[in-house]
Amino acid sequence: MIALRLVRLLLVLLVVTFLSFLLLNLLPGDPTTQILGLSASEEAREQLRRELHLDDPLFSRYLSWLGGLATGDLGSSYTTSVPVTEALAERLPVTLELLIAAQVVALGLAVPIGVAAARRAGRPLDQALTALSFGLLSTPVFVLGVLLILVFAVKLQVLPATGWTPISLDLGWNLTSVLLPAITLGCAQTAVYARLLRTDLIATLQEDYITLARARGLSPRRILWRHALRPSAISLITAIGLNLGALIGGAVIIETLFGLPGVGRLIVESIFARDYLTVQGGVVLISVGYVLVNFAVDLVYVAVDPRIRRV
Amino acid sequence: MRRSMILIASVLSLALVACSGPRPTAEGPPGAGASPAGSPVQGGRLVYALSADANGFNPVTDQFASQSYSMTGTIIEALVSIDAQGNWKPMLAESLTPNTDANEWTIKVRSGITFSNGEPLNAEVVKANLDAQKASPLNTAVFAPVKSIEVTDPMTVKVALNNPWVAFPYYLAAQIGMIVPKSSLADPKAASRTPVGTGAFVFKEYVPGSRFVATRNPNYWRKGLPYLDEIEFRILPDSQTRAQTLEAGGVDAMGTTRDEDIVKFGGLKDAYTVGRATGMAVPEYMFMLNTAVAPLDDLRVRRALAHGTDRRTVISTLRGGLTKEADSPWSKDSKWYAPGGNYPAYDPARATELIKQVEAEKGPVTFEIISPPDPNTMQGIELAQDMWRKIGVEMTIKQVDQADLINRAVTGDYQATVWVQFSSPDPDGEYIWMHQNYAQPVGAVSLNFTRLKDAELSNALDTGRSNPQEDVRKKAYATVQQRLRELVPYVFIDHLDTGAVIAKTKVKGIGQHVLPDGSKGMPLTGSPIPYHPFSQLWLDQP
Repeated sequence: MIALRLVRLLLVLLVVTFLSFLLLNLLPGDPTTQILGLSASEEAREQLRRELHLDDPLFSRYLSWLGGLATGDLGSSYTTSVPVTEALAERLPVTLELLIAAQVVALGLAVPIGVAAARRAGRPLDQALTALSFGLLSTPVFVLGVLLILVFAVKLQVLPATGWTPISLDLGWNLTSVLLPAITLGCAQTAVYARLLRTDLIATLQEDYITLARARGLSPRRILWRHALRPSAISLITAIGLNLGALIGGAVIIETLFGLPGVGRLIVESIFARDYLTVQGGVVLISVGYVLVNFAVDLVYVAVDPRIRRV
Repeated sequence: MRRSMILIASVLSLALVACSGPRPTAEGPPGAGASPAGSPVQGGRLVYALSADANGFNPVTDQFASQSYSMTGTIIEALVSIDAQGNWKPMLAESLTPNTDANEWTIKVRSGITFSNGEPLNAEVVKANLDAQKASPLNTAVFAPVKSIEVTDPMTVKVALNNPWVAFPYYLAAQIGMIVPKSSLADPKAASRTPVGTGAFVFKEYVPGSRFVATRNPNYWRKGLPYLDEIEFRILPDSQTRAQTLEAGGVDAMGTTRDEDIVKFGGLKDAYTVGRATGMAVPEYMFMLNTAVAPLDDLRVRRALAHGTDRRTVISTLRGGLTKEADSPWSKDSKWYAPGGNYPAYDPARATELIKQVEAEKGPVTFEIISPPDPNTMQGIELAQDMWRKIGVEMTIKQVDQADLINRAVTGDYQATVWVQFSSPDPDGEYIWMHQNYAQPVGAVSLNFTRLKDAELSNALDTGRSNPQEDVRKKAYATVQQRLRELVPYVFIDHLDTGAVIAKTKVKGIGQHVLPDGSKGMPLTGSPIPYHPFSQLWLDQP
């Protein structure tokens, strides 16, 4: 089972990295101009092109890069000369924390909203929560981010507008610096999760065993939280895994907006700088992360609903 | 019950945040108290927001942008500086003296200076730096006239040039003239991440994409400086949230290019100061035309485009009327600006007439303009598209990213583009961009991006480069401007002085620094966001 998944992971990596390598090289723009600036001579550019093997055939460069990947060497950034692994290691904790915090925010809001809406399906509270969900879903993250900064940082001055404090430096300030970005990123997911949970809960609450539980005199709250919520969470858990891609996409915007030194911003800046190796390293990291998270989601299914093991 | 738990947990987490101490990176050592009116105060910590990170801090190997100068300039100093009048003045050099023909410069190094790592500054170090710069692929074109660099005594370096070059010292005020110790030259990768210099501050911390921190150099050679104990540069790429962070008190000062920031913070004079670049430090915003490709190889088309461009409308639409119309690469408030020549005034009728002439001979006038996908830039291009359509020119717009645009400009793979350039302190700084020797055919790397070959203009640039007499140089650069107005390789729009530094009023001394010889320094320089030295900044209430 695990071996099969590892093979799948390798296949995904090969396809994704080759496609990204191909696409990056199709992008117009010369990395040597980005590195040397406008006033460099043609000879200097040619020399650098040779040093970076940019004149080698694409497939040969890809194989060479793949060989490096096998030994853990992702090369060095064209623009900063810093090893790509080092650059990613510096940025990864920021993005990881942002993604986890955003999921915590999203689930922390989505579960109560979804449960409350399902309990009062069709009533004014459900309609109000539905409207709220659609409102959050249709608000672009950069608009929400600017709005939250305006309210909490500029007007109320209770949270910092931008900046990042690592956990190692100060936990309290770290939480402070991640709160607004996490809320911004998590809000759109909140709407998705709440809608999914509401729909599944409404279906579960119509199951025979729920009717039986009611007949046994269990309180509605106990039925909801103990007997209905768990089997209704499968779609939600699937969405958490699949939404990782959307979250990473959102993280790129959030990291730029809030000045967070994360992997998303590094990749975008590297694309503009035609820093191919850094982009490739980032793509590998995200691909591995995505596959592993969805692998973990499969394992969580079994824990949440033991019936799946028998399927 | 569980809902209550969730609520309590949320409140607790917020309380945890609220009860945290002061932000660690923003906390500074205690200052020396309030100042008497107007006099600098020692101490305090400045947090300064920049729009982008640096590629690295090694002046020999890393390409510097204005943010690189802000950060690195606190630690590494140059041989030369620029005064408020735009003249070069010695900095780490004690003097720079040309021979009669100005094809040999003697650089006397200031004595008694050591780098923060204890290495001494002397002629050997300066020679090693200049040799490294000459060998660096970043500078091959700029340093091409340098023939040899020799040490003549422990504190003197002689630079021999292939041709007379009176403006040579100006180049030593920038990246090329920044001096690092030999240990940095020996380990360029380390120097790229941990800069060492003779400057007012020493390196403390760098978190890529996040912040750069420098602390006071207690052994700085300029006694009594710096005033600040520490500076943190924070990298905030989004201009709107950068401004909001300033408002929220997260930073003390920031650089910006947004005219709305200038208007908004400029209106709050009790709380903020706004400094804008002036004179030669101001770049020009223009449409750059490739004179080597049709239809822009036809002078009548280029002049028609200028005749058809209503610069006032562009300025009022794009900049809220903040900037001034340009007809030259140099601002009207600089000593190098010269009126005269034949720059096409806004005259749609004349423009239409010229286009009709061309159409009668060669058919419809159409071309493509390339632009970065930036909304403000696109708005300007669409305005021009509308104006030029009215005179009979059909222009299509193609969006490309910055890297592609620059590459196309260098190789000539474009017809027209939007461009911002020309902020060197001396007009000779634009030599390689305009001289015909640097114009190559389409497809080859050409530093003269317009590929305009004009002997009169190039001769004037040569005179400006080689003649030490200021009146002769002024006359030469007046010719340069007149030829540009006549030949229109650029459709000038405005002098783009919306690059600004905005600071809280407690931050004193921005743009008011004094050079070692006692003269006032150039307040702000560089583009798109200007920069300035930090050694003489101080906080009113540190």
